[in-house]
Formats: sequence, C-alpha cells, structure tokens
Amino acid sequence: MRANFNNRDPVYIQVIRQFKEKIAAGMLEPGQEIPSRRELANQLKINPNTAQRAYKEMEEQKLIFTERNNPSRITKDEAVLRDVREELIAEAVNSFVTAVRPINVPLNEVIGMIEKKYKEEA
Amino acid sequence: MIEVRDIKKKFGRKKVLNGVSFTANKGEITCLIGINGAGKTTILNAIMALTPISGGEILINGEKLHKETYERVAFIPDAITMLPQMTIAEAMEFMKDFYKKWNQKRADELLSFFRLKPEERISSLSKGNTAKMNLLLGLALDVEFLLMDEPFSGIDIFSREQIAEVFTSHLIEGRGVIITTHEINDIEHLIDKVVLLDDGIVIKDFHTEELRAQEGKSVVDVMREVYRQ
Repeated sequence: MRANFNNRDPVYIQVIRQFKEKIAAGMLEPGQEIPSRRELANQLKINPNTAQRAYKEMEEQKLIFTERNNPSRITKDEAVLRDVREELIAEAVNSFVTAVRPINVPLNEVIGMIEKKYKEEA
Repeated sequence: MIEVRDIKKKFGRKKVLNGVSFTANKGEITCLIGINGAGKTTILNAIMALTPISGGEILINGEKLHKETYERVAFIPDAITMLPQMTIAEAMEFMKDFYKKWNQKRADELLSFFRLKPEERISSLSKGNTAKMNLLLGLALDVEFLLMDEPFSGIDIFSREQIAEVFTSHLIEGRGVIITTHEINDIEHLIDKVVLLDDGIVIKDFHTEELRAQEGKSVVDVMREVYRQ
C-alpha cells in the first residue's frame, strides 16, 4: 500500500478511507491479514502514532480485528462490509449530485450521460 | 518529557531567545521550525547545557539539568564532530569507550540500515553520509531523548528518504525526538508536533493531526501565515 496524502486532512482519516476503498473494491478480503502499525507507517511514510490511531479507530468501527498477539485482520462481518460499500457509494453519489444540481440538468439527461461514460471507461 | 520553560539567551546585546517555552513528549517527534537565526540550534544547545541560559529553566522528566542528564539525552549535530582522519569504525570505537549507553548491537544494525562502510574515512564522506554517520552515533546510544539538528539540511533526496525511514522505524520507538528544520515539505506526515519560532519566541505550537482536524490547514499553510507577515 502506498499513497499520496493531502496535507490538510487528518492523515489517520485518509488512511481509514484508503482501507475502506480497498475493502469495497475487494482488494482487501474479509479475514485478510494487514500490516503491523509500524509496517504501515513505514510503507506509507507516516508517523507511527498516526498509524496507531488509524488502527484504533478502525478497531472501534469494527473494520478490523485483532486476536491476542496475532496480526490484525480485515473484518469478516458481512453487515460491516456491506456498510462500507454503501457508505462509499452514497458519498460518491452525494458529491456528484451536489456538483451537478446547480447546473440544472434534467435527471434523464444526466442518467443517459452517466450510462455512456460508464461504458466508455470500462 | 522535556520541558523548556521561558528560556532566555543573549549573545552580547543580541537577544537570541526571548522567553521560549514548549514541551516534547516521549514517543513523539517534535519539530522546531524557524528560518535561519530563529534560535533553533541554541535551544538544542541549551537542553544539552552546552550553552548557559540567562533566564528560565529546562526540566527533563521533571528534573533540572545535571550531569546524569547526558545519560538520557543524545545530541546529533549537523556537522562533523569527530576527527576527520578517523574511519567510521574508529568513530564507533571512540563512542563505545566514551559512553556507557553505547549499544553495539544497534550500532551494527544502523551500519547496514544506512548502508555505510565502516572502513571509510570521515573526511571522505559525502554530506548525506556524514548526516547518516552522525545519526548512527547518536541513535546507537540507549537514551530516552534524541535531539537532531537539521538532519535533512542540504543533502540529496535519496539520503533524505533514508533518514526519513528512521522516523517510521523501531530505531526511535518509545523515545522522544526533537528535530530542527527550516524545510518541512517532505516530512509533514512524519512528525507529531510543531513549534514555530521567530525572533526568539514561540509563535505557535500544535500537534499536526489536530491542526488538520481543527483548522483544515497544512503545516506549510501556517508557516506562510506566520512568516509572510
């Protein structure tokens, strides 16, 4: 995992976001082992306390779990996994709608454009 | 914890430190930022009692500075302090004889971490390798606090990256680090805390993640606000 973080949002939130995106995209699978806090800090070139905070937060959100002294893993809880996916989709749709609404385009036209674009990109 | 409380310092008539206060915690990287002449190195020297201060006090784990303080704190300079005709191996031997806290195992690990050649003479080291050797000699001491003077200054990008790796490694785990710098760009995500200095006073100090969360600003944004006025 390597990333470019912006300098104006808390880095731990950006780290969590990345994990969510990878989970939603299936790049991180349920139950998959993830790097230790220090490995993550080293890979992403971020402060180890920040990596620690991201993991703590993800544990609280039940995105990851740690059994005893074993490495942390991605959750297997299907409800949580579904929520992650839905959250990311809802966010993307919200920001799209916020951007497009002021232009006053009829919904049908927008949907047509989305369909066309989606096929293009794929 | 290192507590710097209202310290003052004059060189002749020139006031270099005009009442500087801040704290640096164990397990955190505190970064003293200021343009040249802001008093950064003087503060590190004062913590090491290498320069007398004319006011205020410095506490380390709640105690005033005394001889044993140096068993707890290591100073990593940005210049060559060893004899230039020595090899790196000889400099390491010297440190081993001189400091009780020398950790040979960690020193050997640091040699390979920085990819330094022990047989190389100090006089023939590049600026980047000089910085790495200085870091090696300091990090190999089993001390609680590390003071690093301009570890990133004037060295090539690859050496910078290698030095930055120190900050995410176990080499500083649990220790308190104070570094001085005037360029922050590629280390913004590595540090915990910033103390912005100008003209011998602290203009602002903050934890970087809190700054981002509360003000939505980068460290460079704040530096622009402070130093462009």
